[in-house]
Parts: sequence; structure tokens; C-alpha cells
Amino acid sequence: MNRKQRITIIISLVIITCVFIVWMFSGMEIFTKTQVLVEKKDELFGTTYKEWKDQFIWGLDLTAAVSGAVIVSASILLWIFRRKK
Amino acid sequence: MKKVMLLFSFLIIAVNIFSQGFKVKAEGAQVFSFNDNNGRNQATFFSTTPLEDVNGLTTEINGTISFDVRNVAGSLKGQITIPAKSLKTGIKKRDEDMKGSGWLDVEEFPVISFTIKRVLELKSLADNKLQAKVSGDFMVHGITKEIVVDATMIYLDENEQTGQISPGDLLGVTSKFTITLSDYDIDNMVLGKRVSDKIEIGVNFVGNNKGN
Repeated sequence: MNRKQRITIIISLVIITCVFIVWMFSGMEIFTKTQVLVEKKDELFGTTYKEWKDQFIWGLDLTAAVSGAVIVSASILLWIFRRKK
Repeated sequence: MKKVMLLFSFLIIAVNIFSQGFKVKAEGAQVFSFNDNNGRNQATFFSTTPLEDVNGLTTEINGTISFDVRNVAGSLKGQITIPAKSLKTGIKKRDEDMKGSGWLDVEEFPVISFTIKRVLELKSLADNKLQAKVSGDFMVHGITKEIVVDATMIYLDENEQTGQISPGDLLGVTSKFTITLSDYDIDNMVLGKRVSDKIEIGVNFVGNNKGN
């Protein structure tokens, strides 16, 4: 394995690790969400009701997609950087 | 004389028990409409499985509830309807699956409804607040089943505060109950593990007696 290939693998592993860390800190949701339900208080009736709030939540599906793209890209680069005999 | 007094006392108690209702300014029969265009009225549903939790919401609630203010227990009637296609879960693809032929099939069965049949129990929590156990017909996916729901009703006489929301007296209704999807032929085994068979439904809506 040459230097360029080693760097490619290291960068790929770092990106995949970062993506998984983002997913873990985002609540480890299975599916990516673009809206979440938030509770609001109805002062007049003293009850609570819910509303959709635009909020992006990183899910495992997006993590898998990004990881997959990194693996494919890394594989292509590894082949490009192979030592030609 | 003693027997007469006893009978009279019994009648007074019976009238109080069986004529339970609101103790508010309004009197007589009232009809409340819940056709809110501001998104305040809503029905939510919640499903939990080891794989994922699903929260859903719709704000398109329509319907009417009518009752005699002093005798809610004996006079409560009404129907609430929701367009099935208005349900949203926060993920567009999941919403499309939910409304498709494998689940709610909204093209074939466009309406979800609850029709009040009778009040089984009524408890007065305050002059303008009642807690009721109501029996009614719940329809989803074209199938109707009689269910019992717990509901809380709050009556607000028209005043400056209520006028900011809507004209007329206001009636706020909240309720929570559980349904079993397979009872209504909603049982998609392909994605079955992602959705629980038991769904918690919550409703929270406010109507007025001015018909708008």
C-alpha cells in the first residue's frame, strides 16, 4: 500500500467516524427528519397542544448513505492511486 | 310525612346526578362547531416499537357537538371528522406509505370519524369543566367499531379573552384513547415491525357556538 492509499483510507475512516458521531449526538434516530413536534401551552384552556417545527435531525439512513458514498469514493481513489508496474 | 321527605330528597339527588352539566351563564341547547382554519385544533397519534417511534398530527378537524348546558350527560351528541390524507408524520416518504393502499388507503377511505352515542359517566371537576366517559362509533379504513373514550370538556362563556380567539362561547375538548389497527383491517406485515398495532390517539380542539 503506498502513501496516497494510506492517506485515502485514513481520511475515509475519519469521515465515517465523524458521521457516526454526528448521528449519535443527534439522538440516534433511524430515519432523518425535517420536522419535529413541539408542545405549546394554551393559556386560555390550560391545555397543551402540538405544532410542527422545522428542524433537521440526522438519521441512520443519511449516515449510511454518506458512509456508503465515502466507501465508494475511497475505493475508486485506492484503485487510481495503485502503483502501476 | 317521613316517606314524602325521603322521596323528595331522593328526587333532588337523582335530578342532580342525572342532570349533570355545566354551571355557566349560558343555558339550554348549545351547538359548537369545530371548523378551525387556524391550525389550533388537532388530532395526534403515536406508535412505538423497538425499531422506531412515530408521531403524527393533523389540524384539519371538522364537526359539531351539541348538548343541553345543564344536562350534558343526557343530551350530548355530535360527530368529529378528519380527512385521512391530512395526517403527517414529519417524513414525506413515510406519509406517502401511510396513506397508500397498504395502510390507510385514503383514496378508498378518505374519512376518519368519531360519532358520539352516549355518555357512560360524567364527573364535574369545576363549574365549567366536566370529565366524561363517552361511548361512540370510531371509523377508520371504512370499518366502524364502538369504543369508549375519556374526554375533558371546558366551557368558557364569551368574554374579552375568548373574543380574541373566536366569537361566542368556547368549548375546549381534550381526549386520549387507544385503538388497535388490526381491528380495522390495517395490518401491513411488510412494514409491520415499524408500526405498533396499538395506536395512542389524542385530540385537542376548540369550538364556538356561533357556527363559524
